[in-house]
Amino acid sequence: MNIYSYTFRRLLYVIPVVLGVSLIIFVLFNLVAGDPTAILLGKHASASQMAELRHELGLDRPWLAQYFDVVRSAFTFDFGRSWSTKQEIFEMIKAGAIPSLTLSFPAFFLSTVLAIIVSLFVSFYRGGVVDRLVVFVCVALMSISSLAYILFGQWFLAYYLGLFEISGYESGFPYFIPYVLLPIIIWMVLSVGPDVRFYRTVVLDEIYQDYVRTARSKGLSERVILFKHVLKNAMIPIITYVLIKIPFLILGALLLESFFSIPGLGSITLNAINGSDFPVIKAMTILSSIAYILFSVFTDVMYCLVDPRVRLK
Amino acid sequence: MADKILDVKDLVVQFNTDRGVVTAVDGVSLEVFKGRTLGIVGESGSGKSVTALAIMRLIPHPPGIIKNGVVKFRGESLLDKEMVDMRKIRGNKISMIFQEPMTSLNPVFTIGNQIEEVLELHQSDLSKEQRHKKAVEMLSLVGIPSPEKRIKEYPHQLSGGMRQRVMIAISLACEPDILIADEPTTALDVTIQAQILELMKKLQKELGMGIIMITHDLGVVAETCDDVAVMYCGKIVEQGTADHIFNNPRHPYTKGLLESIPSFDATTGDAKDRLPTIEGMVPSLFELPEGCSFQDRCSKCISQCRQPQEVLALKEVATGHAVSCFNHY
Repeated sequence: MNIYSYTFRRLLYVIPVVLGVSLIIFVLFNLVAGDPTAILLGKHASASQMAELRHELGLDRPWLAQYFDVVRSAFTFDFGRSWSTKQEIFEMIKAGAIPSLTLSFPAFFLSTVLAIIVSLFVSFYRGGVVDRLVVFVCVALMSISSLAYILFGQWFLAYYLGLFEISGYESGFPYFIPYVLLPIIIWMVLSVGPDVRFYRTVVLDEIYQDYVRTARSKGLSERVILFKHVLKNAMIPIITYVLIKIPFLILGALLLESFFSIPGLGSITLNAINGSDFPVIKAMTILSSIAYILFSVFTDVMYCLVDPRVRLK
Repeated sequence: MADKILDVKDLVVQFNTDRGVVTAVDGVSLEVFKGRTLGIVGESGSGKSVTALAIMRLIPHPPGIIKNGVVKFRGESLLDKEMVDMRKIRGNKISMIFQEPMTSLNPVFTIGNQIEEVLELHQSDLSKEQRHKKAVEMLSLVGIPSPEKRIKEYPHQLSGGMRQRVMIAISLACEPDILIADEPTTALDVTIQAQILELMKKLQKELGMGIIMITHDLGVVAETCDDVAVMYCGKIVEQGTADHIFNNPRHPYTKGLLESIPSFDATTGDAKDRLPTIEGMVPSLFELPEGCSFQDRCSKCISQCRQPQEVLALKEVATGHAVSCFNHY
């Protein structure tokens, strides 16, 4: 079996998984969550008002029909309109995706590359002063709350020193850059600690393998050993770690977006949760589930490309 | 005698551990000749592998350090070389195969790639096609069937014996002067073991390299070695030709090793006889006794053996046969 038919088959398996996820979402939102009209209309609504609204929102239809709505939206991305703003949800998501990506993509990419390079570097000097110092700094960075970085960045760097914009967003290249710089830096500071520690462990696991000794006995330089032999073996856990994080980028950086008033998917999601805007929450849940499923397929396909021991059966 | 290609003198290798400094190799001197095989025999922890790694300067540092000694390869001192120059020797002039054929190859590269890599490194004048051709030749030389097809395979598609053959192909690709084989057959079953040893002997005849055969298996020594050094606790206790060691062992340890080989001699064999063993355990390198390291396990131990000595030097008892023991001077 080649890689294409394997990918195709794995994508077919996505369909039943999406049906299952839709069922869970339907049960959670339509059955467990209770009657949303009570929240929307407040305490003093009359029974007839509630029934009217329930009809308007299609909540009085049979459960099966409502379930099919969820399934249909998972495949067509037609999520209906927001209860609070009455906007098309798909349009809202499209508008929110760009600010989110201008923050999350560069931040994620830069922090991943930085962490891999740092971890290769410290693995090369394993056990030495540099290695110990980097691990100490990583643990220290991880131990501080993200709120501390945000408040320090906004008050000291942005307000007091005036290095960055405190908050807000302007769309269009290059206008958004000053607004996303500080959140990107904070993102990198937040993720570099755990990332370096993880990649360092992965690389060190490989560095003591017998094939590294063989490579040395062949006369290869440490640089070639590290970047060719070790890195290709280390790619397997690294791919898992990196790809499994990408679906969470879809949700946007909830905390950073709301602190920096970036109108991204994270803000949309938070606003929807605060306003009990069920269709929007549902849409974000469905989208991130689908992203998660697709990326796990993508991860498996990547394994096949990187590791010859993974058999296509 | 034949052409001396490697001369090791008074090699001392130490490791810094949490419990203190350990001398893993303590004053080892060896010679390797063109076309001959030197066997280094000893139990686990006797310093055989460390000696080999020290010759290649592959001792992990820290914690290991080559404290003293001279390693001369064709007159050049290897211990004084810059790492850049040392790398030109590794895999090219001196190469090494290891005990673990299952894990010694890189799992994510094809075996062809791994053979061609060493050619690319040391024989950069070869074109890509020539390297490929040479790799195929090497695979057929080490007896891998349909090498054209096998060259595209990954290590996990090969058996242990086949992988060790690939390791031999890698190590011999640049036609080295010396091949260091660190327990090359220990992880293989007996029939494969015999095939690999046979192959090494055949290739030695064809290519004329000197071999250092590190093993704990006296059967392997008997089959392959011309010269033998017996190591115990980091020191060579007896050194000589294979004939000396097998037919006229002088050190109590060597004798003990030879006696503890099971024999199938039908005329003297008696089922009720128990196989002799060497009593006791190898002492910890942290708590070596003063004097001879073998004293606590030796039946011939005399009071002199327990006296602290500067060096319990190897003394020649016959031409080319040396023993470090007071009893048999």
